[in-house]
Amino acid sequence: MKETIQTLFITSLIIMTFSSCEKPNQTDLTINFTHTVDAEELTTNSMIYSNSAGENYDVRTLKYLISDITLYAENGNEIILSDIHFIDISDESTFSFTVEDFPNNNYTSISYKMGLDTIKNTNNLHINESYHSAMAWPETNGGGYHYMKLEGAYNNDSTFYNTHTGGTMGGDYSFNNVDNISLTIDDDLGNVSININMEINNWYNSPNQIDFSSYGMGIMMNMMMQMDIKMNGITDVFSVDITK
Amino acid sequence: MKQLICCLLATILLLSCKKEGCTDDNALNYNPEAEVNNGSCQYYDVTPYNFITPAGFPDMIIPENNPTTLEGIALGEKLFNDPILSSNNTLSCVDCHIKNSSFSDPNQLSIGIDGFLGNRNASTLINLGWNSSFNWDGSAKTLEEQAFEPVTNTLEMHNTWENVENTLNSNSEYLSLFKQSFNINYIDSVHIVKAIAQYERSLVSANSKFDEFYRGEESLTLSELNGYAIYNSEQGDCFHCHGTLLFTDNLFHNNGLDSEEPFSDIGLAEVSNNPLDNGKFKTPTLRNIEYSAPYMHDGRFATLEEVVTHYNEGGHYSSTVDPLMKKLGIGLQLTNQDLADLVNFLKTLSDKEFISEE
Repeated sequence: MKETIQTLFITSLIIMTFSSCEKPNQTDLTINFTHTVDAEELTTNSMIYSNSAGENYDVRTLKYLISDITLYAENGNEIILSDIHFIDISDESTFSFTVEDFPNNNYTSISYKMGLDTIKNTNNLHINESYHSAMAWPETNGGGYHYMKLEGAYNNDSTFYNTHTGGTMGGDYSFNNVDNISLTIDDDLGNVSININMEINNWYNSPNQIDFSSYGMGIMMNMMMQMDIKMNGITDVFSVDITK
Repeated sequence: MKQLICCLLATILLLSCKKEGCTDDNALNYNPEAEVNNGSCQYYDVTPYNFITPAGFPDMIIPENNPTTLEGIALGEKLFNDPILSSNNTLSCVDCHIKNSSFSDPNQLSIGIDGFLGNRNASTLINLGWNSSFNWDGSAKTLEEQAFEPVTNTLEMHNTWENVENTLNSNSEYLSLFKQSFNINYIDSVHIVKAIAQYERSLVSANSKFDEFYRGEESLTLSELNGYAIYNSEQGDCFHCHGTLLFTDNLFHNNGLDSEEPFSDIGLAEVSNNPLDNGKFKTPTLRNIEYSAPYMHDGRFATLEEVVTHYNEGGHYSSTVDPLMKKLGIGLQLTNQDLADLVNFLKTLSDKEFISEE
């Protein structure tokens, strides 16, 4: 009898040890940044695209900042996933980030801001971040950071466009996107991904048709252009989907 | 009990016959002949060197395995100035990285120990602690890695590390300095490049007229201010590559120097093996640019006037030219006065104190 009790005790100890190794209800949440032109995955350095003004173009550089990425739950909880995330098309490691062991909840929407709002966009504020030198904007022109550098050639391979956006001279052209989602994290889903896609051609098409031959070069100090691009951005540049 | 006391006494007597000294081979004054440790051991004690981050600079990234010390910097400086690193004892680092030239070479190309010319202009060596890659083609990721290269390069010091190690290990002064700096008894190549890298990190230049202006201590002339405005506008558009107070983006660009392809020097592509990187070179800092002539990776331009003229003409087309060279074939269309103002602004980046201090 004594032996039986001992065996039982040891067995239950082993079971407890093993089961405590398993993390119950673990789900890792990955945010991916994807890029398309006319709904096809972006191919860089290839003049295969055309905007609504009928100009052919390629994409050689794409660097941008997304801020305040926040997930909202049905019960009112909010989780900030990233304060500022820098994406550089030449560096795959910037295309995603993962939050491990994401809390259970019914998530109903996600919001994310293109660029930096005035509070986040002051001179040298992000001086020790990897994007500081690539995105800084001269102090004499208002300081802070570019939101986006989208560059390439258009029409032929020796005329260039530089779509640089950002809040110059104190202007704030950042904009918030809110997308409804239906994501219930209540058990071990493994890895769930929320994909934030930038449809590059839509920066130039609607409601404002933007042609490179008129506005291709320097637009940072052109407030009208910054507004036009912002309006296009709000309209249909970003979209969200979920993969489980 | 009596026996025990006898034993103890005997041991003490025996011990007292043995030679005393420091028996710990980790100590600086380790005496291999000593048999009894008499507590005289002196240990490795270095003085940390605390960098003061200049106004507007990021924090310097220092490798965890090579903290900067006063002893390491002094040793690195000695090595930098010593021809002992070259195979025939004739060429030191400083011969091609001359202080008056902001640690670059005023010659277009540098001459190695065998009389051969190198193929690129020797880079300036200032504020390297804020660089994320080294050499014109970015072939080294750390300063330590970079320092390995010139010693064995056949066009430069043409030595072997085995030979360098043998030479330094037979030199009692270096043995003692490496012991003090790194607590090592055998000098190896890893510690040689560590010392040189420490010295190079200490070459911080951030006290130009422009810095004084930035700190509100000095004013710029109207010409310099106009040059600064052009520099920072999309008309001159210098800042996209030479931005921030480091005056470099730490990236690689093809700035339209040549139209004929294939290029005689493919630059970054040699390291990345990506043909899209053909003709891309690392953006150099513009600090002390007045002192670091000639210009470009191949030293093709002798003066700053030639450099601004190159950009003012818009540069030459090639398949990998950077989209930032957006006035290709058109030119910046700056007036002669604008160009002179731009050069005057560039000269405000000269740190006279750094160049002249002993």
